[in-house]
Amino acid sequence: MEYSFISLLKKDFKMMLSSKFLLLIVASLILYSLYINLVYIKIDQDIYPVYLLDPEESIQNASSQIIRVDNIKELQSRTSDGYAVGIDATGLEPEIIMVSSGLDSMDNIRTAYAYSLLSPGQSTPAEVIGQNSKEMKNRREITSEFLFFELAAVGFLGLASALFKEKHMGVIRVHGVMPVSKSLFIFSKLVLFLLTDLAFAFLLTIINLGLEKGISVLPAVLVQTILLSLIMALLGFLCAVRLPDFKQFSLLYLVLAIFITTPVFLVGQTSITWNWVNYNPMYHLFMAIKNAYFGMPTDEPIYYIVCVVSIVSLFMLAYKALTHEMAKEG
Amino acid sequence: MIEVKDLTFSYGKSKQTLHGIDFTVEKGEIFGFLGPNGSGKSTTQKILTGILKGHGGDVGLFGKDITKSYNQEFYQNIGVLFEYPYLYANLSGLDNLNYFISFYPKEQRQDIEVILERLEFKKDYIKKPVSSYSKGMRQRVSMARALMTSPKLLFLDEPTSGLDPAGAVLFRNIIEEERKKGTTVFLTTHNMLDADLLCDRVAFIVNGSIAVVDTPKNLKEENSNQKIVIDYMLKDKREKKIIKACELTQGILFPHDEIVSIHSQEPSLEDVFIQYTGRGLS
Repeated sequence: MEYSFISLLKKDFKMMLSSKFLLLIVASLILYSLYINLVYIKIDQDIYPVYLLDPEESIQNASSQIIRVDNIKELQSRTSDGYAVGIDATGLEPEIIMVSSGLDSMDNIRTAYAYSLLSPGQSTPAEVIGQNSKEMKNRREITSEFLFFELAAVGFLGLASALFKEKHMGVIRVHGVMPVSKSLFIFSKLVLFLLTDLAFAFLLTIINLGLEKGISVLPAVLVQTILLSLIMALLGFLCAVRLPDFKQFSLLYLVLAIFITTPVFLVGQTSITWNWVNYNPMYHLFMAIKNAYFGMPTDEPIYYIVCVVSIVSLFMLAYKALTHEMAKEG
Repeated sequence: MIEVKDLTFSYGKSKQTLHGIDFTVEKGEIFGFLGPNGSGKSTTQKILTGILKGHGGDVGLFGKDITKSYNQEFYQNIGVLFEYPYLYANLSGLDNLNYFISFYPKEQRQDIEVILERLEFKKDYIKKPVSSYSKGMRQRVSMARALMTSPKLLFLDEPTSGLDPAGAVLFRNIIEEERKKGTTVFLTTHNMLDADLLCDRVAFIVNGSIAVVDTPKNLKEENSNQKIVIDYMLKDKREKKIIKACELTQGILFPHDEIVSIHSQEPSLEDVFIQYTGRGLS
């Protein structure tokens, strides 16, 4: 049995090499890391610039961050980008001049910020949450997103494409009349793709969070990687065995990417709030990875129970689908 | 070796494929299972190899009920050649065979290169990927896969398909050699020539029922009109005469200058098949 497993593993590794999947993984790792280090951590916008029109210089103790302008035309011109905020202090009460961002909440924040700069001494000090610098927060955030994407989309596709090849070549049927267990046939693929995903998660984390910060979150990240990798690999296996051709599989892949994963990113990374997203299992898996990267791993037993039950159920379904495929006509 | 009694099978509730078939295959026998597409040949073979579960009736292999014998040991004792040469196209023929043989105990394994040589496989291609092979070469590698573990029972589905005439003769010789070693062969085919030349007995299956089981020789004799056609020359003119086979014992009594040919009117196995089933094989 041990020898059979090694044979299966070796064969699956050769299949993986010939499909250039490892190359894709390495390319993804390089691309993600370059994007994080060269682009993402540098794209944060500066805080809203605030312009003040106060020809009488009636406001004496305004913050040094305020930029004074000479006339109303200049004020209007400087605030025409929908981002900067202007204060017209020519009247009795200072008046805010700005182009709306389109979001009331955002406009209110801009207004409050501009007013706070008029009398900086009276500002309430902000409560500091966590110990991350802005750059580290960005690194953790984007690394968790890339890992989730890689496991959910690329891992799913990788196993399915390898299996489609075997299905197309008809060799799955040959295993049905050989002294090899169907469970081992599935298991060897899972182990191989899991090891690849774990190596990917390890490298992505260390490269982008650094050795010290990376190692501190790695155990929790790897636990979440194991769960998501197994679930996605089994889903990929099931789809590849049950669906008749790659065209239908591609359609399903598109549905998964657009309708299941996109809302997860939107809710998880922006200010959008959709309560129904709680019913999307991918949201919980994404948040678990994100929380692991922020050093707050999910500790709810129900989450882990549901994950394990899902993996066992998917394995049983994959076993049944494989048995059915082996009995098909040529 | 194989005992089948009242075997039934349905795909779903309404599609009954096998309607109670009976046959036995003795150890060391080549048994031909002949029938047109959709007759139930493949379904029977899948039940016998344990791929399809949920049949009715009794099926025994190696003296055991099959529902209890589908285990590692069972699969170590059988070799299967599928109708299509299912192989890993990205691996070489040798890598394919090394991979498949690794699931069998060492004492059972034969030398792969010797088997490929026996199958007249081109040596230059042994390490090239299967995707570069012709259909005949793929069929040879598939046959090697079926033989390389010294099986006691061989299931062969259209073994000469995709082979040129010389290759077909080679395969028939190899099957014959296997039988001489004591291997039992269950041959599923459309090819009446293969069945006629190789099989000790054949079963004709149509619409999930067996029409007849007998030796090809008996089947042909029983359905023969026992007549002989003689072509001869008489006064520079070609003539033809049909006589009863028994009359030949007295010699050729009618006037003739030269005998051109003598043909028995024995039917081919395909003629017999059509007689029993009312339809051809293709």
